[in-house]
Amino acid sequence: MARAIHLDSIRKEYRTAGSVHVAVDDLSLTIPEGSFTTLVGPSGCGKTTTLRMVAGLETPTSGEIAFGDEDVTDQAPQQRNCAMVFQSIALYPHMTVRQNIGYGLKVQGVPKAERDPKIDEAAETLQITEQLEKMPSELSGGQQQRVALGSAFVQDPDVLLLDEPMSDLDAKLKAELRVEVQRLHQELDATVLYVTHDQTEAMTMSDQVILLNEGRLEQFAPPGELFDYPVSDYVARFIGTPSTNLLPAVVGERDGAYALEGDGFAVSAPADIFADRVGESITVGVRPQYLSSEGGEYELTVVAEVVEQLGTEFVVHGHTPDGTAVDVVSTEFGGVEHGDELRVGFDPADLFVFDAEGQTLCHGDDLTKSPPQSH
Amino acid sequence: MALGEGAAGSILPQSLQTRLKRIAVILTAALVAIFVTIPVYIMVAIAVQSPADVFRGGTVHLIVDTLTFRNFRVLLEDTNTVQYFINSLIVTAGATTMSTALAVAAGYGLTRFEFTGKTLAARAVLFAYMFSPIVLAIPLYVIFYSLGLLDSYFALTMALTAISAPFTIWLMWQYFQTVPISLEESAWIRGASRTRTLWDVVLPVARPGYISAAIFSFAVAWNDFTMARVVMSSDEMYTITVGASLFLDRVTIGWGETMAVSLLISIPPFLIAVFLQNYLLQGFNVGGLE
Repeated sequence: MARAIHLDSIRKEYRTAGSVHVAVDDLSLTIPEGSFTTLVGPSGCGKTTTLRMVAGLETPTSGEIAFGDEDVTDQAPQQRNCAMVFQSIALYPHMTVRQNIGYGLKVQGVPKAERDPKIDEAAETLQITEQLEKMPSELSGGQQQRVALGSAFVQDPDVLLLDEPMSDLDAKLKAELRVEVQRLHQELDATVLYVTHDQTEAMTMSDQVILLNEGRLEQFAPPGELFDYPVSDYVARFIGTPSTNLLPAVVGERDGAYALEGDGFAVSAPADIFADRVGESITVGVRPQYLSSEGGEYELTVVAEVVEQLGTEFVVHGHTPDGTAVDVVSTEFGGVEHGDELRVGFDPADLFVFDAEGQTLCHGDDLTKSPPQSH
Repeated sequence: MALGEGAAGSILPQSLQTRLKRIAVILTAALVAIFVTIPVYIMVAIAVQSPADVFRGGTVHLIVDTLTFRNFRVLLEDTNTVQYFINSLIVTAGATTMSTALAVAAGYGLTRFEFTGKTLAARAVLFAYMFSPIVLAIPLYVIFYSLGLLDSYFALTMALTAISAPFTIWLMWQYFQTVPISLEESAWIRGASRTRTLWDVVLPVARPGYISAAIFSFAVAWNDFTMARVVMSSDEMYTITVGASLFLDRVTIGWGETMAVSLLISIPPFLIAVFLQNYLLQGFNVGGLE
């Protein structure tokens, strides 16, 4: 039965020869029961450590972990009814695929006659029926990962943990297995916690995304919210490819009207947020997809450096005249060459504004709430 | 030829280099084979002919044209060879089992657990391996003497274990480092206890490693001379190596019988080499002894 996962002020330290490394710092959140939640972040941000603490393979230095109402902080991994799929796949090389999938059931004392139908069912769902009597070493990487998913499937866990299960697979297999994992989630009554460093996986698969930054929770929200309402420039840059463009600007005032003044643009800004920030350095964020060659309310000059073709779209990597790096994504830029100057437009509704520390001051819809003021 | 090997910057053309390399390998192999095979052949040739035939005409006659089991019959009838052989089997089996079990336990512990003095323990193991057996012989003699254990299978088994254990522990320690911990973690999460995981997962996966360790400790124990000579003091307790060396002192036993007993000594290692060579190579590869 699916259970919610509660993390309460979790902290994990590693001590090595006098120095203390904090892997996870004061992490508190509740993952709703039955949801598909992704833990995402760059390498070394503490996401695998968090997962391993949920599994019971690591003990938190302080804080509590509960599944539903049950405090599991001190429970051994054997007691938690989790299933876990490892990055290294971790199939037992001396057992056949059937034995691998059925090992958890065997440990729990399920007789062979009951095990086999479950294994067959799992194998059928994952399309590995023909591989059941083979050894793991005879399988391809994608098939091995299916076997690992199958082992999790037959166990009927409360919590299913996946630790970067696809990082070693090629793009095509990844796409196939993404579907497989989601189907598994639908068929199982389990809370799924999925670790990845690939924000595409996080955005496409999950109900909720937990974005970590050096062991701290940066934002915990559904994918769409993460994309449209990032709480900081870190979130804005991590989610979405290419990364959000960050343009330095200053809050300016002229005759009681406020504007965000950057290199070649001055976006009018609402007084309630910016009145007491005149003169402060801020950052304006705009996604490459929202910079348009067809113009917008404001315009920006971009000097092209490199143009990449992605199917029907082109990604122009360039910089503004004062040297800030800017990427633009559009279908229009096929003929652009190195050194060309482009005029691209954007609308205030698509902007994010961050303060000097990188925290979000306001999102685009706050900028458009107040009517544009006369210049 | 492996990718990336070969001719970059060399004077000879690549094809010639490949051929030279082949010839060099074949020559070396032939040379080694000759050095290893000739003594073995001489042993067999003398063992299966009667002394009268071998030494006929004042030279050593090495072409086998008459076959006889006379030498083996003399060994069986006039000497304690059977007893020696049984003694050897007993202590070798004991020492192999002890040393391998110790190595598996210690190797697993050194790889999987953090404890104070772990580095020290690991260094001590390697340091102990560097001692010659004879350095251990006198202290062990004193220990067994005080305990009243001299001239017993148990004492010799322990002494032989002491010689082979440092290396087998080190071998298993290296081997367990190649077994991914995620295999065990995956079993724990599925509900298997640590002990059950050890039996179901760790030991089967580590099999090439502990078979190598067993083969090594077998070789040490079977070929041992020093410890048996020091620990055992009565004729019916001698191992085959000590027993065979004593033949040379006896007037009634000649070269023919000595070579026959040598042939007998060679049989168990030969069988092991034939049947377990794959495991042997796998295990030692990991130990860095390619």
